[in-house]
Amino acid sequence: MGKLEAKNIEKYFKHDGKQLKTLDGINLNVNDGEFVCIVGTSGCGKSTFLRTIAGLETPDSGKILLDGQPLSDTGPDRIMVFQEGALFPWLNVRDNVEYGLKVAGIPKEKRNEISHRYLDMMQLTQFATSYTYQLSTGMKQRVAIARALVMEPDVLLMDEPFAALDPQTRDLLLVEMQLIWQKTKKTIIFVTHNVAEAVVLGTRVLVFSHRPAKIKKEVEIDYQRPRLTDDENLLPYQKKILAELRPEVKK
Amino acid sequence: MKPNVLAKKIGFYTLIIIAWQGIDSAEIWPDNIFPSPFEVLEDLAYGISDASLFFGIGTSLLRLVIGLGIAIAGGLVLGIFMARVETVNQTIGSLVLGLQSIPSIAWVPLAILWFGLTDSGIIFVTAIGAIFAVTINTYTGVKNINPSYIEAARNMGAKEGQLIITVLIPAAFPYIISGFKQGWAFAWRGVIGAELLFSFLGLGFLLNVGRQLNDVSQVIAIMIVIMGIGILVDGVVFKRIEDKVMTRWGLR
Repeated sequence: MGKLEAKNIEKYFKHDGKQLKTLDGINLNVNDGEFVCIVGTSGCGKSTFLRTIAGLETPDSGKILLDGQPLSDTGPDRIMVFQEGALFPWLNVRDNVEYGLKVAGIPKEKRNEISHRYLDMMQLTQFATSYTYQLSTGMKQRVAIARALVMEPDVLLMDEPFAALDPQTRDLLLVEMQLIWQKTKKTIIFVTHNVAEAVVLGTRVLVFSHRPAKIKKEVEIDYQRPRLTDDENLLPYQKKILAELRPEVKK
Repeated sequence: MKPNVLAKKIGFYTLIIIAWQGIDSAEIWPDNIFPSPFEVLEDLAYGISDASLFFGIGTSLLRLVIGLGIAIAGGLVLGIFMARVETVNQTIGSLVLGLQSIPSIAWVPLAILWFGLTDSGIIFVTAIGAIFAVTINTYTGVKNINPSYIEAARNMGAKEGQLIITVLIPAAFPYIISGFKQGWAFAWRGVIGAELLFSFLGLGFLLNVGRQLNDVSQVIAIMIVIMGIGILVDGVVFKRIEDKVMTRWGLR
């Protein structure tokens, strides 16, 4: 039994009055502490699959199990980091990070203590009282990650969180993300269309086929960390994955 | 305000007063029809000296605050309800659009029949004139919230009640504040209009007294006060809130 299991997930979307199959019976077993990356072409259904795990979409058939228990609604055991961060502009950085703790009814002092730890981990301490309009895109994503980590979720779900970043900021965050994973031993499912990103981050990379989405190929990546995007030893992995993806782009 | 903008404004209003005095000096109309600016100023000074003006302003503003408060509370609840429950929108929502088209002054006869010539009647007219503007703006604001905010909050464990307080209202706030601003404008018109007809203290009442005494300068003085309060609330209070909200919410 894995930490998180997806069993035969199917999902249809209505399009022009027709039922369009988006997820084609996906089975996935993620072990505790794994860093699983899902790559696929734009619009292939990988984000829908992640949202289904998060409980933000309801599958038409199949189920999601966490520690063997079936899940229905969304909840803080599976925290999602959104592509554009989805930070609340009316709250400052600290209050954003503490949001989930606050709705859980954790007292202020305890909240401050927890948020302080993660703000420090994400190097955000000096921005604690800043508002989102004062932050760069990279900073916003750091806040989004801190906000997710404070919840200490069983599984961290990341939906292309670095897609809008410039390459330098992204490379930096890719390294930090690996350190965070090593430090917190979190189970992470990370969706991206960027193969280099997936190879750097993942212990395992899943290649999704284009609509309807299915796991087309699994690639284990057993290589030292922290990995860098320009590490030539990672190129063979990238090539292998790209070879699988290329026919999907044409679909 | 930039100094040159301020200079333009001062120049403009000085010109108006000079022209006004010029027309008065030409003695085209008798003084009881067209008073000079000084007579109006005198009237204002008199109102200030015997405090009747402050009492009038205070009475009107108190009614406005109570009426607008009711409108804001009711409008927020109604607007959020309409935005979150489609059936409410399809039913009550259509009624709100209809009621919004009734000028607040048209509620006066009903208010008099229901409440008599009382403070409650005036407050009723004020509140009902403003509530639908708040409702519609709140509804639009909640409908336009970035869905990721709601998903993120639910994902982090927010229940519907917490969602309303911690996400829906703040996220819709740029719209809600326009609703307050429109609501205030309707309420201000409503309270003065109702006071004219109820003839029961307040600035509208003072306007009416001026008419009954054939005192044109009092009428004009009170109108200037009504305008002044309007400019103050719109241009200072709401502008400041709006500026802050627009910046923080990243809308500019």
